Amino acid sequence: MSEDIDITQMQTPEILELIQDDLYDGLAAEVVASVNELLKRGLTPYDVLTKGLVAGMDVVGVDFRDGVLFVPEVLMAAKAMKAGMEILRPLLAETGAPQIGTMVIGTVKGDIHDIGKNLVAMMMEGAGFNVINLGINVDADTFIKAIHEHQPSILGMSALLTTTMPYMGVVINTLVEQGLRDKLIVLVGGAPLNEAFAEEIGADSYCRDAAVAVEKAKKLVAIKRGELT
Amino acid sequence: MTDHSRHEEEHCQIALMPSGRRGKVQRGTNLLKAAQELGVELESICGGRQTCLKCQVIVEEGNFPKHAITSAATHLTPPTARELEFGMNERLEGRRLACAAEVLGDLLITVPEESQARKQIIAKAASDRVIEIDPAVNQMYVEVVPPELGDSRGDWERLAQALEAEWGLHDLTIDIKAVPTLQPALREGDFAVTVTVWQGKEVLRVQPGYHEGLYGLAVDIGSTTVAAHLCDLRTGAVLATEASMNPQVRYGEDLMSRVSYATREAQGLSRLNKAVVRTLNELAEKAAASAGLALEDIIDTVIVGNPVMHHILLGINPVELGGAPFALAVDSALDLKARDIGLALHPAARLHLLPLIAGHVGADNMAVQIAEMPSEQDEIQLIVDVGTNAEIVLGNRQQVLVASSPTGPAFEGAQITHGQRAAPGAIERVRIDPVTLDPRFKVIGYDEWIEPGDGSTIPGTAKATGICGSGIIEVIVELFLAGVIDSGGLFVESARERTPRVHYLGRTGEYILVDAELSATGAPIVVTQNDIRSIQLAKAALYAGTKLLMNHRGVQKVDRVVLAGAFGTYISPLHAMILGLIPDCALDRVSAVGNAAGDGARFALLNKGLRLKAAELARWVQHISTPLEASFQDEFVAALNIPHSRDSFPSLAGILPEARDDHQGRRQRARPRQWART
Repeated sequence: MSEDIDITQMQTPEILELIQDDLYDGLAAEVVASVNELLKRGLTPYDVLTKGLVAGMDVVGVDFRDGVLFVPEVLMAAKAMKAGMEILRPLLAETGAPQIGTMVIGTVKGDIHDIGKNLVAMMMEGAGFNVINLGINVDADTFIKAIHEHQPSILGMSALLTTTMPYMGVVINTLVEQGLRDKLIVLVGGAPLNEAFAEEIGADSYCRDAAVAVEKAKKLVAIKRGELT
Repeated sequence: MTDHSRHEEEHCQIALMPSGRRGKVQRGTNLLKAAQELGVELESICGGRQTCLKCQVIVEEGNFPKHAITSAATHLTPPTARELEFGMNERLEGRRLACAAEVLGDLLITVPEESQARKQIIAKAASDRVIEIDPAVNQMYVEVVPPELGDSRGDWERLAQALEAEWGLHDLTIDIKAVPTLQPALREGDFAVTVTVWQGKEVLRVQPGYHEGLYGLAVDIGSTTVAAHLCDLRTGAVLATEASMNPQVRYGEDLMSRVSYATREAQGLSRLNKAVVRTLNELAEKAAASAGLALEDIIDTVIVGNPVMHHILLGINPVELGGAPFALAVDSALDLKARDIGLALHPAARLHLLPLIAGHVGADNMAVQIAEMPSEQDEIQLIVDVGTNAEIVLGNRQQVLVASSPTGPAFEGAQITHGQRAAPGAIERVRIDPVTLDPRFKVIGYDEWIEPGDGSTIPGTAKATGICGSGIIEVIVELFLAGVIDSGGLFVESARERTPRVHYLGRTGEYILVDAELSATGAPIVVTQNDIRSIQLAKAALYAGTKLLMNHRGVQKVDRVVLAGAFGTYISPLHAMILGLIPDCALDRVSAVGNAAGDGARFALLNKGLRLKAAELARWVQHISTPLEASFQDEFVAALNIPHSRDSFPSLAGILPEARDDHQGRRQRARPRQWART
């Protein structure tokens, strides 16, 4: 916590904004203190999550997209977000708060690029999603198994090689064969991809970067739930 | 409808300016392909994936009687989502990406200067390193007993016995192509001949009488450039060096695009293979001609290349190299006949391929090691070969480690707003005045430094077309030293109060490096925030790979840094270190060695012992697969800063700006607070 600020003396809306600023600055301890203070004041865990943490990560996402923030800052912000989430997660489960969603993500078979995909995973966690990160070199069977196990609303696939990106299509075909495709939003990303490719293989959307992935994930989930058309 | 009119409908007339090339293409043809068909090569780094944005063209509107073409933007398929996205965020200005558009009608297309593929500058000059001459082929003069009645031995058997008696060569064989020449040569030379023997085992050539002259070719097949050195195998002298662009570029700029092409297209592998073989033959012919020799005089060849180039040359489908676990079809050194792969040298000429190390680390890297020999030194040497896939070698005589790191094509100008490859017109050097923030720069093909306001005094060829890798590294470092960007790579907002060259588009800054009057395109050349981000990502991948090897090797510091490759030749060591591309090292121990792979190939051509050494080294060096290392991500993130977020650079003391601690514990908030604190 910054020495010059006494959060117990602050108004609740101010603390919510402070959380956003502290997330932006990647200050995990400060975020945790504010989360605890707000819970003490009787805010629901869901409100703390959406009005504080998720709202803050939205700002981080926009600045990352614009190139104002870069990978190290975003990782710090995601870590601070995670620290706050650890307090909220059990409380959210107890209170039966609405789930934002679950995502299964992995780099496809043949490809061992990790970093971009991890960044997407962290930004998605930052947006309140429960993320199952399957790592690199993930084959269709592993994706399918994880989908059965975790029942995600979103499947994310990454490929950084022009030679491995066609495998995303293989995974999607397997989803179709197993009748799973329509239950899922499929997002794909990676340097050599584009919208045309995403469309060609039957993905729902191509995501240029982690910030775009979060935006599209939220929008598509909302549409799927009938909240948006 | 008549057949004729149907035919008219299915084909569209296209003219391309300024080349004036024109012709008919099938309706529905991709415009990038159509241009290729008509003989106009466009810049394309991504191989038509709407990613590199280099193939921009302009559709002229209207009726052009001179070309008998009525051209309209609607004669192309509508802009794709990717084009629209780019058009909104950047400055596409009604241009189209050729790779994104299909031809629907007649078109007059203007190819802007920056979109034209240009002849490449070849930096691969032969080095003058000292090397012991001990080639794999030798000439031996021998006198043979003439045949006579009662001696039923064949001419070859009598020659072999003479060679055994005079030269101590046992169990000799003879190449099938040499056999027919044997009897004429023996008789023409009055039973005295000069034979050329490979490794003391095989007769390749039989020449009548006494002959001197032993020539070989050393070739480095790079993904972008193919370079061939014609050498005198007795003196080691380089008689001619010829280089050209790798013709496979037209099928895919980067290696993985070519692997895709070989896999996807039925004739893909064969086209890639034939293209490079044809180029090798052309280079050999040119080199021989400029040395006053014939192709048949070339009797030995060494070729090196990365695994994909190596496999394609041998006609092996590189599909397995397209994905993990990146299995090589064969990694040993190979001794073949040049004719086996279609090289038209001497009919019996030998071909040696150096061994490969791993799926991403090829014979070219082996050649670099042969040239630099870190394995024979006490000091810890770091060799960095910068390309789309950077190869890193680290070690000394105790142990040498090697890795490849996926830097991506940013150093070759891709994904940079005004990036381009090193070619005439590209900015290769940049200096920025720390006070006025005005730039000076050098353009390839023009010797003088160019400053703002020089527009009327410089020739047209000195006008800048874009920024190549060395230029982009220098401009970013100079911006950092001048305080225009911070160590995180972010434009410092106050810099715009210091110069009109820094301005903001929304919330991100950019720097005007070249004013419109000095630019070949007539538009300013700028460096954007995202350009800086692309370079940070690329350099961090390289640095992180180096750090992983240093950690494996248990060293904190390297004693010497060698920058290899054509790109390495142009990089300023100082700027490379300030950027954090390479770790700290005494600046006078950082050197560029040019085309070390080509040098290594040449040394292996001139010294057969080095071929054995390479085979030994290939088994001895330890390959590290960087992405599988747990600490790679941590090292990568730490290396994104300029020069680095935690490693120190004592060698840059007094050069790096003082670490500015104006954050007092809290980091500077780049985004203004939306609320006021009471």
